[in-house]
Amino acid sequence: MRYVAIRLGLSVLLMFGVTVVTFILTNLVPADPVQAALGEQAAADPSIVAKFRADNGLDQPLVAQYFTYLNNVLHGNFGVSTQTRMPVADELASAVPATIELALAAIVFSTLIGIGLGLWAALKQRTIIDQVIRVVSLIGLSWPTFWLALVVYYVFFFVLGVFPGSGRLDPVSIAPPQVTGLYTVDSLIAGQWGTFWDAVYHLVLPASVLALYTIGLLTRFARSAVLEVLDLDYVKAATAKGLPRRTVVFGYVLRGALVPIITVLGLAFGALLSGTVLVEKVYSWHGLGEYSFAAATKLDLPAIMGVGLIVGFVYIGLNFLVDVLYGVIDPRVRVA
Amino acid sequence: MKFSRKSAATAGLVVAAALALSGCAGGGNGAAGGGDAGKSLVVDASFDLKTADPNRQYETTGSIVAKALYQTLLTFEGNDVTKPVDGLASYTMNPENTVMTLTLKPGAKFSDGSPVTVDDAVFSLTRVQGVKGNPSFLLDGVTVAKTGDDTLTLTSAEPNPALPFILPNPALSVVNKKVVEANGGSDTESDKAEAFLNKTSAGSGPYKLESFDAAKQVVLTANPEYNGPRPAYSRVVLRNVAGPTQKLNVEKGESQVALDLNPDQVAELAGSKVKITSDPSRYMIFLLLNQNKDVSQITSNPDFLKAVKLGIDYDKIVKMAGKGSVRPGGPIPSLFVGAVDAKQGNQRDVEAAKAALKASGYNGEKVTLNFPNDITVQGLSLQNVAEAVQAQLKDVGIDINLAPAPVATELDAYRNGTETVGLWYWGPDFPDASNYLVFSPGELVGLRAGWPAGADPKVTELANAAKAATGDARAAAYEAWQKELNASGPFVPLLQPAQSIVTAPSITSVTTNPVWTVDLALIK
Repeated sequence: MRYVAIRLGLSVLLMFGVTVVTFILTNLVPADPVQAALGEQAAADPSIVAKFRADNGLDQPLVAQYFTYLNNVLHGNFGVSTQTRMPVADELASAVPATIELALAAIVFSTLIGIGLGLWAALKQRTIIDQVIRVVSLIGLSWPTFWLALVVYYVFFFVLGVFPGSGRLDPVSIAPPQVTGLYTVDSLIAGQWGTFWDAVYHLVLPASVLALYTIGLLTRFARSAVLEVLDLDYVKAATAKGLPRRTVVFGYVLRGALVPIITVLGLAFGALLSGTVLVEKVYSWHGLGEYSFAAATKLDLPAIMGVGLIVGFVYIGLNFLVDVLYGVIDPRVRVA
Repeated sequence: MKFSRKSAATAGLVVAAALALSGCAGGGNGAAGGGDAGKSLVVDASFDLKTADPNRQYETTGSIVAKALYQTLLTFEGNDVTKPVDGLASYTMNPENTVMTLTLKPGAKFSDGSPVTVDDAVFSLTRVQGVKGNPSFLLDGVTVAKTGDDTLTLTSAEPNPALPFILPNPALSVVNKKVVEANGGSDTESDKAEAFLNKTSAGSGPYKLESFDAAKQVVLTANPEYNGPRPAYSRVVLRNVAGPTQKLNVEKGESQVALDLNPDQVAELAGSKVKITSDPSRYMIFLLLNQNKDVSQITSNPDFLKAVKLGIDYDKIVKMAGKGSVRPGGPIPSLFVGAVDAKQGNQRDVEAAKAALKASGYNGEKVTLNFPNDITVQGLSLQNVAEAVQAQLKDVGIDINLAPAPVATELDAYRNGTETVGLWYWGPDFPDASNYLVFSPGELVGLRAGWPAGADPKVTELANAAKAATGDARAAAYEAWQKELNASGPFVPLLQPAQSIVTAPSITSVTTNPVWTVDLALIK
């Protein structure tokens, strides 16, 4: 419990640091949000510019702006978008679940396939199977995501017609009532089976594209982690004792190799959440990636800071989770 | 904390299995949920949407949405923007062009069944002025007043012959005063109705708002109270989709209309079953050469300016921009009254350009060309245009250094008048030649080129004459102004890129318009 409490305390401190860094970096951008938000004629009207600055707190000193911002964030208020004039929290509540749903599907694909392939390659070290798996994982890591997303969309939607077009649902479908924002989950909660299958069907292509990179990554990490454990004395002892191979592999080898794999898995999930912009663009997914891209190009400062905080929170949360999982998997970590 | 490894493993397996199912399983026909597919229209666009509040929006997608949900007092027929026609009202203008009297036509109703009144019209126009948003300038210097049960007047301090061309702008849509006021609306800066109007429309247009998400999609359903012809599609889904995906969607039949394909994507569709409509757009792409000597000694040199104007291969740039693109003879696009024929604009003459360059004393120094590289104009990348300009000017001996930057950062330099050479575009605020007088000395765009008031008295004189001209004399006055601007001004109008709309074979008719791009209610 103490171990968890310490990790939690450190995470809170890190979050505070993230707010400072995000605020400073956002305000260092050499551009004026007034120019980005207002039209040609409006930006030339001093009264409209003054109103915009006052509405968005841009007429206050930077330090005052930061403390106002921090106070608002602590109360769940991420500010108002300078582009849409909608609360950033509301916009994030719409964008974040879309990306979580996509990243979850991708990470499940990746975990099952990546760890399986890595384990298989390690157990068949220096065989043709090992060579093939290593080459395939390298290809998965090397393909440019944007290109792959377009090719997969072209082949499976346009040419073969086996998967649906862009978006999270069919154009004529109506989204299920929002509970979690994950269409698969919300449609099940609402008992809308047709919408559930529609959402699943739309997830397959973008999740597969995203998963390919992570599969390559996990395969290589799992392979090297398993190879390392295979050489350890306790594994040799278990084999010498005559334990069944399945017990040795899953009870001794895989368990021993899980710590580095989980580290990579946590980082990969974080990267999926914050790095889906290209796939989201091709598949019109409208999640956090697209939202952050739009915020950055339009210099929407509250939105940029909102995204920064969310991504920071995700990474810190995942690291916290990974730290806790270390304790579960390896009791020595808890004791230390 | 004590963990039960067995139960944790079991729970993990269950979650993993459930997620694997959601990740791996396919099936279904993708047409779940509600909606009437037979009467639904799916339109793909690249959104620049900010709001569904008609009196605050001033973006391309916002105008498409506002046009579908609301009506304006005056409008345009089809894509002819040379003659404003009756909308919710008819109009007369006094001979001095200072007082416009609008008479409301009977029969129009809002989507809640209440009639459109003069009070609604007055409230809507004063709301545009009062909220101090992007379109507020449209009615600068105009006083709006109710003068009778079905009449209102718009009084301008100075002659305002452009007003009939301004009123059809969807930003000047008439909203339901009672409904908007009941939801926080007012015609002052304290207006709070935007959030409401992003959820519910309060208009008399052919559609009502079903749902709105500025980043994802807008869904419209037919308004049974609309007093015009019933739209062919009872439900419209306007989706935010990237260009390459738009192309595949419309070819496959996933969507019926694609609004934002670039020239290369349109060219790739040759031979496909889809229908392509390519017309010159309202946007004018131009070069500016800064006349402020503190910014650049060389671009402010008249002979250097002349060399650039003579060194550009205008026809080649238009050809590069694809089918439907044209070259304007001056800053005013070919669609509007007062436009100059391309033949009367500057023409390429390499030898004359070289002679002018020699006279300028140019010593081969690098001249920086700034432009935004993260935006496109009707799908056309300004990077491509900049590279063409660089190559063409190299032929005459000018060494151009390309300096691309994100629009958010480059806008500062452009609007503050600190760019040496800039490559930008101008989208008209309303389809009238007077909107282009900002290219005169001391005016909005003139100042960005370091061209202050008094810098070119002849251009200023012709600009004033054009502004004051009325009736048939306007076209000739604007033509004279542009010819002088072509000769001595710091601007080099390059092209109007094409506006290409691609439709599925099932679509028989699409009506485009330079102000609101496309009228969704007229798609058949």
